Amino acid sequence: MTRWRPVAGAAAAFLALYLAPVLLPIDEYTHDIVGLTFVFMAAALAWNWVGGYVGQISFGHSAMFGVGGFVAARAMTALDLPFVLAWLAGGLIAGGYALLWGHPTLRLRGPYFSIATIGVGEATRLIATYWSDFTGGSSGVSLPLAGNPSKFELYWYGLYLLAAAVAVSYWLRVSRIGLGLLAIKEDVEAAGDLGVNPTLYQDVVLFLSGVMVGVCGGFYASYQAFIDPQDMFSFDRSIGLILMAVIGGIGTVLGPIGGAVVFVIIQEYLLANYSDLYLGLYGLLLILIILFEPQGLTGLLRRLLRLRPHRFRRERREAAT
Amino acid sequence: MGEAFTLAVSAVLLAGFYSAMAYGLGLIYGVLRIVNLAHGGIIMAAAYLAWQLFDRFAIDPFLAIPIALVVFFAVGVAIYLGLVRFIPRGPAGGVQSLLLLFGVWLVIRNAAYLLFSGNEQVIHTTYATSSVSLLGGSFSVTRVAVFVVALVTLLALHLLLSRTFLGRSIRAVAQNPESATLVGIDVHRVYVISFGLGTALAGLAGVLASTLFAFTPSFGASELLKSFVIIVLGGLGSVVGIALGALVLAAAEVFAVYVVPPYLTAAVGFVLLVVVLVLRPGGLFGQRVLR
Repeated sequence: MTRWRPVAGAAAAFLALYLAPVLLPIDEYTHDIVGLTFVFMAAALAWNWVGGYVGQISFGHSAMFGVGGFVAARAMTALDLPFVLAWLAGGLIAGGYALLWGHPTLRLRGPYFSIATIGVGEATRLIATYWSDFTGGSSGVSLPLAGNPSKFELYWYGLYLLAAAVAVSYWLRVSRIGLGLLAIKEDVEAAGDLGVNPTLYQDVVLFLSGVMVGVCGGFYASYQAFIDPQDMFSFDRSIGLILMAVIGGIGTVLGPIGGAVVFVIIQEYLLANYSDLYLGLYGLLLILIILFEPQGLTGLLRRLLRLRPHRFRRERREAAT
Repeated sequence: MGEAFTLAVSAVLLAGFYSAMAYGLGLIYGVLRIVNLAHGGIIMAAAYLAWQLFDRFAIDPFLAIPIALVVFFAVGVAIYLGLVRFIPRGPAGGVQSLLLLFGVWLVIRNAAYLLFSGNEQVIHTTYATSSVSLLGGSFSVTRVAVFVVALVTLLALHLLLSRTFLGRSIRAVAQNPESATLVGIDVHRVYVISFGLGTALAGLAGVLASTLFAFTPSFGASELLKSFVIIVLGGLGSVVGIALGALVLAAAEVFAVYVVPPYLTAAVGFVLLVVVLVLRPGGLFGQRVLR
């Protein structure tokens, strides 16, 4: 099933990005931002496994991001775990947390699931804010300087995370599980009749998504060296993941990657000056995309690519008659 | 008796507000099969409208209700004609309408923030602190007044839906749009009116909320969630179902103070939602909830 073209392309992109900081004169700021963008891409891809592949829009993924971040931070401060292990621990516990609320709610479809996830996000944020023994409450948690990687090194770890997310995205798309997910997205009952167990498939995907987003949360904790629950669990964080996927194109592999680039550019270069406007701007962007190009950048690109041969063919046909 | 009784009356008073709040969401979902994610945003906007009317023109919030109904009916019609109309119906449109109306919510929130800042606002009416004694307990005048308004609204809605041609058309379209078209109902018009009416009800709820709670531009998220819990609990079939759903939620929240710390009462609605959806996917009192 695996075709060599996308794999080769991904490998070439990985190599280029791996070597870029060594070969090109990139300033420190850009280097750090690109490293963080890799992780947003990975998280957006993970959101897309649930939101795009299964069609279950989650407004509560900040819960797993936060759980992963705080478990990782505590694993480093209290248990002295090396940071990679701490991230993994954060990811696994975030995945477990996703299953905890996801197993009962994933049997809901469409708006029912989405609204339930708003509840999950809000409830988790409240609990985290008040459980100050673990999350530090409003004063947050600072990570130890020793043992925490520098932002410079984190670039490559971000790249590894992105590579893992792309690999899983691709695998989910082409494997048997991916076909099962598509079937569930189209019609849950029919999928059940064909021997696809919707509960199991959706649980597995949400678990994977939770683990990935949790690890991204752990990375973010290391990157910022300080985290607080209001930021980690904020509704805006869930919105961010949705936006990246929607801007790029829901349900595709390349879409959320492109969407994350656009998102970070908007965030860093435009909204640094207009911080009062960011929610409205994101809302407007969402409205425009849904109204004019529900498939996001991917759809736009496809349309542009298709435009030419179409016109060409039509012209030829007209010339012939 | 005593405290438990006072809590029970509180729950009933709260349930009145909740049912008025949930009805707008239920109406739009019942007719258009769309969850209006901007519902919470409309509630928040209406609270700000009431506050502005009170602050600038000294119009009492309860007298501002007709104004809010007209304004938000127009807002709803505009949102439907300008945006929602273009979204395809059916399962594919479900995701799109969710994201679209979510975008509308973000825009409303940002607009409120730009206009009125993120500071908390409260409406201080002259009677805000006065109370009446009722069934042996003492209750704030505002809460009782909100309950009465909500009750009148539910009654008016019930009459509208059961006694008028428009109401019957709305119910017919909710049951089956194709058949409604066949008997000569202008389905598009019913969609426009239902969306306007649902939004107007959210506006009413917002005005009522402004007399009960302090609010900021991010007000409305938990109101959306609660409204949704109520329509799931009560089903979409009737005014009575919504009222019962509201009562269950209000009672669960009010009596939760015995079991959980106060900051967790916000999570009560969510827990209730999951429990009900898992045990009774059709809602407690109605069918026709899932699809």
